[in-house]
Amino acid sequence: MTFDLCLPAILATAGQRPGSIFGMPEQASTIAGPIDLIYDIITWISLFFFVLIVVLMVYFMIKYRRTSHVANTGGLTHHTPLEVTWTVIPLILVIVIFYVGLKGYVHLTTPPENAYEIKATGQRWFWTFNYPNGATETNILHVPKDWPVKITMRSDDVLHALFIPAFRVKQDVVPGKKTHLWFEATRTGEFDLFCAEYCGTQHSLMIGKTIVYDQDEFEAVIDDLARWIDQVPDDKLHLAGALSYNQCLSCHTLDGSQMIGPSFKETYDLFKSGGTRTLADGSRVTVNEEYLRKSILQPLGEIAADSATGAAYPSSMPTGIGTQLGPRKVESMVQFIMRLDEVAPDGKLLEVKKEDIVVKPSESE
Amino acid sequence: MTTIEATKPIPEPAGDNYLTHTTGIMSWLGTLDHKRIGIMYLVSVLTSFFVAGIFGLLVRTELIAPGQTIVDADTYNRLFTLHGAIMVFLVIIPSVPASLGNFVLPIMLGAKDVAFPRLNLFSYYLWVTGAVFAVGAILMGGVDTGWTFYVPYSTTGTAMGGVVMVATAVFILGFSSIFTGMNFIVTIHRLRPPGMTWFRMPLFLWAIYATGILQVMATPVIGITVALLAVERSFGIGIFDPSLGGDPVLFQHFFWFYSHPAVYIMILPAMGIISELISVHSHKHIFGYKFIAFSSVAIAIFSFLVWGHHMFVSSQSPLMNVIFSAITFSVAIPSAVKVFNWLATLYKGSISLNTPMLYALSFLFLFGIGGLTGLHLGTLATDIHLHDTYFVVAHFHYVMMGSALIAMIGGLHHWWPKMTGRMYSEFWGRIACGLVFVGFNVTFFTQFVLGSKGMPRRYWDYLPEFTVYHVVSTIGSYVMALGFFITAAYLIHSLFGGRRAPANPWGGRSLEWQCTSPPPHDNFATQPHVGDCYDFSVLEWDEQEQGYHWRHDLAHEPGEG
Repeated sequence: MTFDLCLPAILATAGQRPGSIFGMPEQASTIAGPIDLIYDIITWISLFFFVLIVVLMVYFMIKYRRTSHVANTGGLTHHTPLEVTWTVIPLILVIVIFYVGLKGYVHLTTPPENAYEIKATGQRWFWTFNYPNGATETNILHVPKDWPVKITMRSDDVLHALFIPAFRVKQDVVPGKKTHLWFEATRTGEFDLFCAEYCGTQHSLMIGKTIVYDQDEFEAVIDDLARWIDQVPDDKLHLAGALSYNQCLSCHTLDGSQMIGPSFKETYDLFKSGGTRTLADGSRVTVNEEYLRKSILQPLGEIAADSATGAAYPSSMPTGIGTQLGPRKVESMVQFIMRLDEVAPDGKLLEVKKEDIVVKPSESE
Repeated sequence: MTTIEATKPIPEPAGDNYLTHTTGIMSWLGTLDHKRIGIMYLVSVLTSFFVAGIFGLLVRTELIAPGQTIVDADTYNRLFTLHGAIMVFLVIIPSVPASLGNFVLPIMLGAKDVAFPRLNLFSYYLWVTGAVFAVGAILMGGVDTGWTFYVPYSTTGTAMGGVVMVATAVFILGFSSIFTGMNFIVTIHRLRPPGMTWFRMPLFLWAIYATGILQVMATPVIGITVALLAVERSFGIGIFDPSLGGDPVLFQHFFWFYSHPAVYIMILPAMGIISELISVHSHKHIFGYKFIAFSSVAIAIFSFLVWGHHMFVSSQSPLMNVIFSAITFSVAIPSAVKVFNWLATLYKGSISLNTPMLYALSFLFLFGIGGLTGLHLGTLATDIHLHDTYFVVAHFHYVMMGSALIAMIGGLHHWWPKMTGRMYSEFWGRIACGLVFVGFNVTFFTQFVLGSKGMPRRYWDYLPEFTVYHVVSTIGSYVMALGFFITAAYLIHSLFGGRRAPANPWGGRSLEWQCTSPPPHDNFATQPHVGDCYDFSVLEWDEQEQGYHWRHDLAHEPGEG
């Protein structure tokens, strides 16, 4: 797989250039430089023709502006060689543009054999990234620098699209099939990550970060990601839940205000008082630990009704959360809701740091 | 006879015209006169434009700062959906053909009416019915799917109740569009008077003809698509939703199979108007008539083969992406040909910088930007980054609004004296055109920068780094709105206080300028004389009448020949 459009000079400067002069964002992948080059070529061609059109138009407007009502006689009505010329020149130019665009595209759609594979799931309204070692992360994509990464994506509800502007990559995430994109990051740092395909109420909040590390650091980060939850002692598990809450927050508040789903505050109050919750079908269910666990693992089983209006909440909670999180993180969420007054007093989430609740094996012995 | 009257200086229109022919509200609601139907379409379309424009302004106002500004996310999603759906289905698609086209097509052709006057009226009432369903959708909880109705969000994802209603509206509006297109095709084939050969037709008619082909051939597909969508949403029959065994990408193929040609249903008639405006207001024979005429037909044909360029990141196969990208570039050629031919028409013309011409020149500027940025989006490697960002939003606003609607407004000013018999204020016309032009560019050029920087579209909230561009864009939209409000004011004022229009205020040569302003009920008392509709040398200015008429030193006058 060659990509001869990557002029050596571009490759050498990729990562340092601030992007195209025509407004592209910073470049942080191997493909960003070549794509910006194509973008610049097209923009220069467009600028040339645009200036040509406007200059001629304004010149004619001034030079041939009407000064008297004497009817205009004659002038050329057609000139076939001239018209053929301005048919053929654009034709040649668009063939060139198509070709360079094709080369770039072939590169974009051909991941190298040795690419590091990460699974991504788009759900309303968060991203989950699963790593080969079992690590899971929400809305933050950790990737190594200078190593090709292939993302295999799926959706459990509607269309989404993973878009990382600094890498110049984007791919729709389609329910019912797997889609892919790949890139090779060239700089360490944090870069924006967006959902680019409209997916409903909180579409614009389905955003996150891509963090690029040096390869050694990357290994350590995902190693820690895979194991930290097992190193949280049972009595601190509710605090670990606070670290997973970011994938709940677009629907469930902590202060009792209503969003797409019931507020955790309301659920907590019911749990505390041993109360019951009215479901969409009119039946009532006791809010206990078992109910909380079931609501996370089988969210569409018992749809709650809004306590104020009696209307059913939308059946939009993703069904795959249990598998993605793994049993211990699910447990941390159950604990999180059961001890909400400790984790989020007055509806304000405590600032929990992972290193404060994790007990490394050596320390516990 | 009619035209002889028109050449005389007449302070008051002599006798009967289509506005005074019959009176009473029923004489309008039940009319079969293409001119009155055109006027009813015009009023309806401009009302919809006002409503959808207000929605657009609310969207821009919400975006003036990150986070919630005036509405919550669900309301914002409803607003941009309604802005898009109304602008596309109720405004731009019917704007030029059904309003201006209905009014001028038969007169330009030299016919008394369209081929099927009853079908014409029926098509208008279908439009009204579609509009009623659209209002019903708003009342039933609204729609938040975007005007593209992508599945599975539109079938199982959204809780809002208006989806089926709005799908019904689109279905009905589709039939309205099909009937209009078919009516015009038959009219042009069958009702050309003696002497009106294909290559003597004004280029506006070629454009309307090419549009008619698109309307008749492409629109049934959107009808079927939204019908399947409604069936899936209402009865859970799996066609598009993968959880029911369907394929969501199939919906996108169906949708764009219509909606890409629909872009040309919007832009081709606009190009036809520009051909007329540029030639008439520079009193210069259109340059390369046949190249322009055939490029309309070429665009109509190519437009059926490029729908997949909306789907480069949809997960359709890379091979299809490559093929669609290649064919997409073929549309660039006839578009470029038209622009160069218009420029060549200006060369050595006698260019009047009046309001219609300022809109035509704005069109050249704006379509230049809209067309050329299409290259960035047709190119595979760059589209991957730009797809679903504000770059696309800016691009299609330059084409649909900056080109299609600006040409429509230009055509409205061009034919306003003919339709109403009144002249509007040139001074305010130019001021408003300037405000719209500047406001438009400030609003939407900014969005190219937003898009290439990576700001996704359909975002209610955004990262702080994008704020400055959003503020500029919103201010631009207010300037543009001011321009449109001024336009509405002086046009309405002209109806009551405007100077009486002469038969031929601009010196046009096509047949509509040979009848009085406003035209009589039957358009022409006698069969009009058909000549070269771009030969302006036979006209001369009459200072007293403030209009043009046939040169006295020439042997015969039009209408007598």
